[in-house]
Amino acid sequence: MHTDLNDLFAEARRTPSEPSPDLLARIMADAEDNMARPVTAPPAPVRSPWRFLGWLLGVSGASAGMASAAIAGVWVGFSQPDTVSRVTAAYWAVTSVEVIPTYDFLTDETQ
Amino acid sequence: MLMPLDQMTDVTDDALLILYANGDKAAARALTLRLTPRVLGFAARVLSDRAEAEDVAQEAMVRLWRMAPEWRQGEAKLTTWLYRVTANLCTDRLRKRRKSVTLDDAPEIEDAAPSVEQAMMAGDRMRALDAALAGLPERQRQAVVLRHIEGLGNDEIAGIMDIGVEAVESLTARGKRALAALLSGQRQQLGFEEG
Repeated sequence: MHTDLNDLFAEARRTPSEPSPDLLARIMADAEDNMARPVTAPPAPVRSPWRFLGWLLGVSGASAGMASAAIAGVWVGFSQPDTVSRVTAAYWAVTSVEVIPTYDFLTDETQ
Repeated sequence: MLMPLDQMTDVTDDALLILYANGDKAAARALTLRLTPRVLGFAARVLSDRAEAEDVAQEAMVRLWRMAPEWRQGEAKLTTWLYRVTANLCTDRLRKRRKSVTLDDAPEIEDAAPSVEQAMMAGDRMRALDAALAGLPERQRQAVVLRHIEGLGNDEIAGIMDIGVEAVESLTARGKRALAALLSGQRQQLGFEEG
């Protein structure tokens, strides 16, 4: 009898339960209802160095820009970046220029 | 509603679930087409009621969709998890159905015999099998269906039913004996040769 029973089981395996189109539609609707919604990230804050400096100084908006520019000016003045140093050095370089020629050549004994 | 065939046959259940968790509708469709027949077939044979089995299948699949974001690939087999959920839902339904009377204590084999004969008269072998299965105690029925119709291994059934492998072997052996007893008087109607 167990052999016959195994035949019945095999027949049952060959004839799987076919879900109705209505059931499949309901399950798909559930799937869509429970599907993760795409997450909309908040807009990233603008990364501006001037705004960051303003944030450090505790001011915002146009004041932040002015304050930042002032700080930057002071910093440039004190630190004197290499490029600036070379320009100023070239500008203020003192070279000796002989405006009145000497007359040593008149007393030169060799002549 | 027309449903296209599962086009993702080479993609594992795990991978499909992860795709679904990331919002892939095609993965949801593939999982629905792949898993619903198995869940429905198991529930229908355990509950012996098509409408209730459809409700259970839908509920089991809802739980699958909700669990998807937390699923950890490789930790467990998805079908094992789903069969377990389905088995628990069926148990809840049967508990409500029989209320205070436990199915295992009821004299089911004798009660099932008339329905088996009715199915035989209709000449429907599958209906006869289902009627005989309905006569088994619930745990035996679950084990027999999972082992001999769903084709699962004893290890997996043990995981689904939360029992040891030896208990699974015992349930399936007793279940088969009981089924054989239920169907023994119907050999001719079943088309089995005397021997």
